Amino acid sequence: MTRPEPVQIRQEGPSMLGISWSDGLESSYPVRALRQACPCAHCIDEITGKRILNPAAVPADIRPLKLEAVGRYAIRIRWSDGHETGLYSFDLLRQLHPRPREDADASEAAS
Amino acid sequence: MAAPESRAVLERVVEVLRGVKDPELDRDVVQLGFVKNMKFENGDLSFDIERDRPTINVLRERLRDECLKAVADAKIDGVLGVFVNVAVKVSTEKAAPKFLGNVKNVIAVASGKGGVGKSTTAVNLALALRETGASVGIMDADIYGPSIPLMLGATNAQPRVTPEKKLLPIQAAGLELMSMGFLSQGGEAVIWRGPMVSNMIQQFLGAVAWSALDYLVIDLPPGTGDIQLTLTQMAPLTGAVIVTTPQEVALIDARKGLKMFEKVNVPILGIIENMSYYVEESGKQVHIFGKGGGERVAKESGVPLLGQIPIDAAVAEGGDSGAPVLTARPDSKISEAIRASARATIARLDEVKAGSGSFDPAFSMEWK
Repeated sequence: MTRPEPVQIRQEGPSMLGISWSDGLESSYPVRALRQACPCAHCIDEITGKRILNPAAVPADIRPLKLEAVGRYAIRIRWSDGHETGLYSFDLLRQLHPRPREDADASEAAS
Repeated sequence: MAAPESRAVLERVVEVLRGVKDPELDRDVVQLGFVKNMKFENGDLSFDIERDRPTINVLRERLRDECLKAVADAKIDGVLGVFVNVAVKVSTEKAAPKFLGNVKNVIAVASGKGGVGKSTTAVNLALALRETGASVGIMDADIYGPSIPLMLGATNAQPRVTPEKKLLPIQAAGLELMSMGFLSQGGEAVIWRGPMVSNMIQQFLGAVAWSALDYLVIDLPPGTGDIQLTLTQMAPLTGAVIVTTPQEVALIDARKGLKMFEKVNVPILGIIENMSYYVEESGKQVHIFGKGGGERVAKESGVPLLGQIPIDAAVAEGGDSGAPVLTARPDSKISEAIRASARATIARLDEVKAGSGSFDPAFSMEWK
């Protein structure tokens, strides 16, 4: 098993989720960005892979209520908007790991 | 510190406490792992009974009284005073979906293809683990064709239900056993559709009151469909063993099985090649289904070949008559091969747990 796994998952302030990875990487995710990136079938069209969820429709004050492990490969997040079908696989979380700052700004503007 | 005689006292106390059943769980307190902090100093014996779930006071007192009485009745030499403290320690993990209770290692036995002897291997592997002195359970999750009750001679068993609405496993051949077969009417093929299966499996996983087992072997149905995916996703599996035969068709499907576990991050313990060869009376090994297939797949996937089990008519007979080969013919070549596979599996479990497992499958967190 060489794939990185979360060693620690923690809340960082009111709206950031922090993950320490087994390979030493430190990630901090804005929770709203995670909700917007929900990979479930309600949010992403299963066949085309196109996003159905309108990112702007996600409330600015969205918060997770609860996070829990799904087996050994993902976490499930229950959101304050009642949504709870998204499983965030470790692979997905690694893909979402914020890129260097200048790119992060650009991608935020683009989404 | 413990003088030999005080050790003897403690051992005797453990033996005595095996006769004390938890009133709610219908199992003895030693088996449940509730006995903690046992000490014997200057004639004073003390220990804690630590229950892992909310406990009403009446029950607490009753447990305490029963322990005191059991120790007193045993009249153990040298014991002057007895102090029992009944505590409750609900572990934080309780908050998470804790499907498999206090089980220490959960091993899934899978095959990409049917007919490779997966269930037989699972049963014999469980028995071989049991021989090492470990407490072992086997869960027959083959919802389509549960066969393990037959192999262990427990077809007519009816699991009892605890007051907490949990299913108590059957005791068979020294193993704790639970099977999907107990829940459906005998002999009828079960036709389930995917989503039903997933729900069923999830309920089933959470519904069994296993004791604090060292190993739980889960016999998965063959293939890589919904039910396998649900199980591998939901159950906190420690690792998976893939059973295959040496033919190319079986190997292709074994590779699919490997991929499935990889996808959901379940460590592969290794491959067991079943029906590897036939031993002629002269002692010559004949590779009926070709040679080296299991080894090839193991190599290309970077996982160990845990064992090669020869083909033998006695295995099938043993399975049908409820006397698995490991108990029916303990000294045979085939039993030796099974034990070797079990030893390799145990060694590999340690390796896998040391190497991965940084993620806690019982993780749960409330946002504040």
